[in-house]
Amino acid sequence: MAIAMASTANVATAAELSGPVSYIIPFGPGGESDISARFQQPFFKEKFGQDMVISYQPGGGGAVGWASLNGLKGDGQTIMGVNLPHIIIKPAQKDVGFTTEDLNTFYMFHYTPDAIVVTADSPYKTLADLVADAKANPGEVTMSGSGKASANHLAQIKFDKLAGTLTTYVPFKGTGAAVTALLGKQTKAEWGYTTVGAKQGDAVRMLAVAMEERHPLFPDVPTFKELGYDMTGGAYRGIALPNSADAATTKMWSDMIGEINNDPAFRQQMLDGGFAMLDVDADGMADFMKARIEEYLNDAREAGLIK
Amino acid sequence: MELDQFLAALTPLNLALALFGVLAGTIVGSIPGLTATMALAVLVPVTFAMEPASALILLGAIYTGAIYGGAYAAILLNTPGTPSAIATTFDGYPMAKRGDGDLAVALACFASVFGGMVGALALLFLAPPLSKVALAFGPIEYFWLSVFGLSLIAALSNGNLMKALAGGAFGMLLSTVGVAEVSADIRLTFGSQTLIGGFGVVVALIGLYCIPVLIDLVAVPGRHLKVEENVKAVRIGDAFGLAIRSKFNLVRSSVIGTLVGILPGAGGSVAGLVAYSEAKRTAKSHQKFGEGEPDGIMATESANSATVGGGFIPTLVLGIPGTPPDAIVLGALLVQGVRTGPAMFTQSGSIVYTFIYGLIIATILMLPAGLLIGRYAYKSIVTIPKAVLVPAVGFMTIIGTFSIRNSVSDVIIMLCLGVFGWVVARFGFAASPIVLGLILGPIAEQGFVQGWIIGDATNNLFGMFFGRPISQGILAFTLITLILPIYLARKKNKAHVELES
Amino acid sequence: MNRSAANSQGQMGSLIISAMFVLAGVVTLYDTLSYTDRDSKVFPQTVAIILIICASVSFIMRFIKPTDEGGFGQGIWWRRVLLISTMVLTCIAMPYVGFLPAGVIAFAGGLIAAMHDRWSLSNILLYWGSGGFIMVLFYTLFKFVLHVPLP
Repeated sequence: MAIAMASTANVATAAELSGPVSYIIPFGPGGESDISARFQQPFFKEKFGQDMVISYQPGGGGAVGWASLNGLKGDGQTIMGVNLPHIIIKPAQKDVGFTTEDLNTFYMFHYTPDAIVVTADSPYKTLADLVADAKANPGEVTMSGSGKASANHLAQIKFDKLAGTLTTYVPFKGTGAAVTALLGKQTKAEWGYTTVGAKQGDAVRMLAVAMEERHPLFPDVPTFKELGYDMTGGAYRGIALPNSADAATTKMWSDMIGEINNDPAFRQQMLDGGFAMLDVDADGMADFMKARIEEYLNDAREAGLIK
Repeated sequence: MELDQFLAALTPLNLALALFGVLAGTIVGSIPGLTATMALAVLVPVTFAMEPASALILLGAIYTGAIYGGAYAAILLNTPGTPSAIATTFDGYPMAKRGDGDLAVALACFASVFGGMVGALALLFLAPPLSKVALAFGPIEYFWLSVFGLSLIAALSNGNLMKALAGGAFGMLLSTVGVAEVSADIRLTFGSQTLIGGFGVVVALIGLYCIPVLIDLVAVPGRHLKVEENVKAVRIGDAFGLAIRSKFNLVRSSVIGTLVGILPGAGGSVAGLVAYSEAKRTAKSHQKFGEGEPDGIMATESANSATVGGGFIPTLVLGIPGTPPDAIVLGALLVQGVRTGPAMFTQSGSIVYTFIYGLIIATILMLPAGLLIGRYAYKSIVTIPKAVLVPAVGFMTIIGTFSIRNSVSDVIIMLCLGVFGWVVARFGFAASPIVLGLILGPIAEQGFVQGWIIGDATNNLFGMFFGRPISQGILAFTLITLILPIYLARKKNKAHVELES
Repeated sequence: MNRSAANSQGQMGSLIISAMFVLAGVVTLYDTLSYTDRDSKVFPQTVAIILIICASVSFIMRFIKPTDEGGFGQGIWWRRVLLISTMVLTCIAMPYVGFLPAGVIAFAGGLIAAMHDRWSLSNILLYWGSGGFIMVLFYTLFKFVLHVPLP
């Protein structure tokens, strides 16, 4: 059946796409959004015969790109990456030129689970070590992370509450800078993602990951749930079309990205990079977003990041 | 084994790719608004069909060429083609104005090749130990580094310190406009959607440097640049002689460039500014920096080219890209199945070494390619009638600014900044302090805030800001840079007074 | 006080710009009152205070020691205005008529503004021809080689 579905998708797309597709990343290059788009790029060309041109439109933590998305043509030749919790928290804080509901998100294809990362030679061998230190010296355990009111920041606040600890969050510009600060021992630990563990290999140790089950790449790293903290989630990434796109175009794109997502070679590449797969297509998007909006706004409100 | 990889880099295909990359990169870099990042992003899919090493050589060559190409627009139009070339305008444009544009272009080429080689050799031989520099630099070190960069404002003030400082502070305020990078606020947008993305550095560079030049060009008749009679070619011989005489400057600037390049939070613009500042501080009495001093161009251009090799050190050793182009190369590597990070040199060693040799070859090829393109660039800018030059450059600023993030608002911001910059410059508020503030402001702010949070958490604020050895070193250099000129001027005055009495 | 210097263009311009910078600092301080995060206040407030001090000193110095440095200098105003206004016009027209036709407005404005020689048939053909060539070249480069979505 999967084959039949894939072939009908092929027929539909051959008629619809009319040239190279522009895939806009509303951040600079090098982040998780960019890397996962780069992974999709060759598969798209191979399956659908069209070039996928990735460009960067950074500014305002993604807001510049998302605010401009609905002004672009909805003919299916332009798509843009979207990130949770960004597109939920930012519009809730202030008027940033778009609302969460405005964005025609048609597929969520992966997420990077939250993880606490320490250097390989850190005295924290387990999560319990870190919690014990944080309880003994309130505020003195510094943890770097990417930005404020971000997935990392929300995770830090949530974990502090669950564990009854007080840690200090140090915001950096992007995951790369946060990891540099960790490796340089500027901070004692980092709130990052499983992708950090995949990229840095032996240089770092992950204490726990916020997944339902352990990540296949890291069978030795426990989940927060196993350790007694009810925490799953991370930063979710998907793709959106301008909201002027008609239902047929949205369906076509949802099917195309779904097909790439179901390619075993693509899945393997993503898992090797430390990502966790997700398959929320256009039909399931409304329910998925509703649940996430509730969850994130609740977290952010409790953290005092929004009113 | 090493020889194998060198020979692998020397295949005719790879050589052709390196040459093409350098040529394309130089042209890309010379057009303000067209960045290496954009060219690399477009080329990455092309490289999927290639051998990983060839693909990397192509990408590296474009990057190298683009950093050098930024010097053309800086020298001939007073507009840095890339942010790395900001300090090139300080002496490059005055040289071009007095008729030495050809000399300046050749000097930039020699300096770039020299700096590029130093950076690439550091990458080849010293990458693992040097990558520790990236880790030794914490928030506070970045903070002091930006303060050191800002101290150049005083040196650039031309006797009007308060105006220069006000300009620098204003630039720093401009840098805070929009969504804050590391805190959860939207600042100084006054409800305007246009300002949410803030003032992009390249947008501001084009506006503040290029538009005033155009406004001045149209207002009066006469040629754009002074042309010496009977000069036919780029003055290679003169330039080479000057470069030999300034060997210490070249070496020092290249080392600065390599080291600053290693810092993921700094980049080519900071490297150029720091090297320029050091060259100016150690200047001999007859040298007049800011009025067309060849050493100023050489310092900046060797430093910014050295950041290419330097920037790949943390990218390849630690998996942490220093600049956006580095990040794109890193992404291309990942897709090629090369595992970056600490294990890269051992696991994917042969590709990495072939890439480094490719970078060295590209740098060498930059010498003939750069001189050749430089000659045409200079000739065409000098000979094109003003009535075509102005609209062509004007059109370029519009298309270039638009392309940075496909935004018409950015073009309007660029034009507004341009008119603003022209007006204030007429009354002694120069553009350079504003640009310095805009570039260094975010580095200063993030370093300060992060340092404060960490120092506060560990109850050691004073030790955080003043107790770390690297910070103390940078602070000492900053104080020397600021105080030495005043002390020397006093001493000179005293000597005068004694002589007169 | 030298009256003529005090009223001159350079003196006035410096005073106005200094005052403007002071105002920018005050506006920033006012804006920071609305920030929710302490970390986003520290830097703009510090810098705004530095700006106010430097610009005030610059303002006062000019009053104590009036000089006539600076000014708009020689030059033909309509050319400057034409150059910038056609560029602004291009931005406004771009979303409606497309990039290339809008670009022609700025190009024409720049050409006329920068044309100090006498018009002749040969240079009209040459300049407009080369102008058209340059524009099409850049448009092709950006739109089709670099895939920039130009309107």
